[in-house]
Amino acid sequence: MFIGQVLNGLVNGAMYSLVALGFTLIIGVLDKLNFTHPEIFMFGGFVGIVSMTYLPVPWALIVSFLVGGTLGLITEWIAFRRFKTSDSKITAALSSMALGLVFTDCVQKYWGTEPVSLPALPAWLEKNVLIAGVEFPYLNFFILGVTCVLMIALHSLIHKTRMGRHIRAVAESPINASLLGIDVKRVSQVVFFISSGLAAEAGFLLSLRSASANSEIGLTFGLKALAIMAIGGLGDMRGAMLGGLLIGIIEACLFVFGLGRWVEMTVWVVVIVTMMIKPSGLFSTRLRLMEARA
Amino acid sequence: MIADHLFFACINILLAWSVYVVLLSGNLSFAQGAFMALGCYCAGVLTVKFNFSLFPAVLLAGGFSSLVALAVGYPTVKLKGIYLILVTLGLTVCVRVLLENFKFIGGVGGFGGMTGADLSSVLIAVFIFGVLLYWFSRGSLQRVCDTVREDELVAASLGIDVVATKLLTFAVGAFIAGIAGALYGHYMNFVRPENFDVLLSIYVVLYVVLGGVNNMWGPVLGALIMTLLPEYFRILAEWRPSIFGLSILLILLVRPNGILRFRLPTLKDKGSFPHE
Repeated sequence: MFIGQVLNGLVNGAMYSLVALGFTLIIGVLDKLNFTHPEIFMFGGFVGIVSMTYLPVPWALIVSFLVGGTLGLITEWIAFRRFKTSDSKITAALSSMALGLVFTDCVQKYWGTEPVSLPALPAWLEKNVLIAGVEFPYLNFFILGVTCVLMIALHSLIHKTRMGRHIRAVAESPINASLLGIDVKRVSQVVFFISSGLAAEAGFLLSLRSASANSEIGLTFGLKALAIMAIGGLGDMRGAMLGGLLIGIIEACLFVFGLGRWVEMTVWVVVIVTMMIKPSGLFSTRLRLMEARA
Repeated sequence: MIADHLFFACINILLAWSVYVVLLSGNLSFAQGAFMALGCYCAGVLTVKFNFSLFPAVLLAGGFSSLVALAVGYPTVKLKGIYLILVTLGLTVCVRVLLENFKFIGGVGGFGGMTGADLSSVLIAVFIFGVLLYWFSRGSLQRVCDTVREDELVAASLGIDVVATKLLTFAVGAFIAGIAGALYGHYMNFVRPENFDVLLSIYVVLYVVLGGVNNMWGPVLGALIMTLLPEYFRILAEWRPSIFGLSILLILLVRPNGILRFRLPTLKDKGSFPHE
C-alpha cells in the first residue's frame, strides 16, 4: 500500500519535474519568468485529446510537443521579444501573465470549464501489473519512461551538442555570447520552444493519467511547478528534476498519513522558508551565477 | 443593481490602491488577495462571534492584516523582483488553504452571518483613503518612497532605512486590503475561502498595470474600467479575461518601460521643481 502510494507520487513528481524544468530553462538562460508556461501546460492536455482521436499515442506525444513548442515561440514573440533588458524582467512577467489570461479564456470558450474526457486508451496501456500486492497500470510506467527519455534528451542537448554550447554561453552572459557571434535571438527561440514543448508534453501525460483534460489546472498545477523550481534554485535543472520528484513523493506520503488537505500548502510553505533562509535554492550549482542576476 | 456594481468597483479601487501603495517602494505584491481574505475573516469573526459593531471590527481587521504583513514581510521584503513575486504568490495560496482547514471559521464550506456594510460605508472608506493618499503624495514620505524605488543604494546613502520603508508600504497596503476584505465580507454576508483565489491577486495587480502607476488615479481608472464596463457591455462580459489580457499586452507593448517606471513630476516639468 505504502509503496504503491510512493510510486504514484513518483509519477506525479515526474510531471511536476517536466513543467518545472521548462520554467527553470527560461529563467536560467534568459532570466525571465514565463507565466504563460502553466497555460501551455494546460493546453497540452487538449492537444492530446485532439491528436489522440486521429493518431496513435506515440505520435500524439510528438504532436503535443511540437504544438506546445510552437506556442512557446508565439509567446516569445508577443510577450518577451520587446522586453530584453534586465530592467524589464517584471514587465515581461506581467505581459506573459496577460497572454496567459487570453490563452485560458480562448481554451475555455472552445472546450468549456468542465473537464473534457479523453478518447479510450489503446489496449497495451490499459493492462495492469502486480507489484508488492498493488496493481499498477502500465500507463504509470509509460509516463515515467517518457519523462526519463525527455530528461536524458534535454541533458544531452544542453551538454553534448553545438546548440547546447550556445545555450550555456547565453546563460553565462548574453552580451558576451553575442560578441562571440552567437545568435541570441535564435537561442532564446530554441529555449522557448523546448521549454514550452516540455510543458505541453507534461500536460498531455497528466491528461492521459486522469483520462480527462481540465482547463483550470494551469493555475494550481502550473504554479506548483513554479514553486518547485524555486525550491530547487532558480535556473538549476538538477534542482527542478529532483525537487519535482521529491514533492511528488512528499505529497503521496501526506495522503497516506491522512493530511491530504494540507497538500496544496506544503510546497508553498517550503518555498517561503527556502526564500527566507537560502534564496539561491537548495542546489547551488546552476547555469548562471546568483550574483549576476540579483 | 447599480449599487452592487458600484460597491464592487469601490472594493476593487481599494484593492488596487493597496497594490499601488506597496508598489510605491518598488515591490510588486501578489498577496493582496491573501490580506483581503485575512481582513474579511477577522472582521467576520469579531462581529459574528464576539458581537463587535462594524466600525471597530473593520479597523481591527485592517490592523490584523497589517500585523501579518509585518510578520511575513520582515524577512521577505529584502528579496527582489521574481523572488518577491514567488513569496507573495505562495502567501496567497497558503492563506487560502489555512482558511479552508479551520473548522472554527467554517472551513471549505464558508463563513456567514456578517451584515451591515453597504455602499455608503465603502464610499466613505474610498474617500478617506483617497484623501490620505493624496496627502501622502504631497508629503516628504512620498519622496522617501520614490528614492527607495528608483535606487536603493542612493536611498541608503542618504540615510533612508530601505527595509523599514518597504516594510511600511507593505503593511499599509495590507491594511487597505484588509479593510476592503472586511467590507466585502459584510456586504456579501457569506464568504468562502475560494473567493480569495490566486487569480484575484493577479487581477488586482493587473488593474494597476492597466490604469498606470504614475499616480494614485491610475489604479482607480483601471479598477473602474475593468469592474464597471463588463456590467454594461455584454461582449465585454463574455470575453472579459481576453479583452483584459489583450489590453494589458497592448499597453505594455506600446510603453515597454513606461508602465512600471514612475514618471516623477519633479523631473518632468522643471518649473515646479521644489528648491527648498
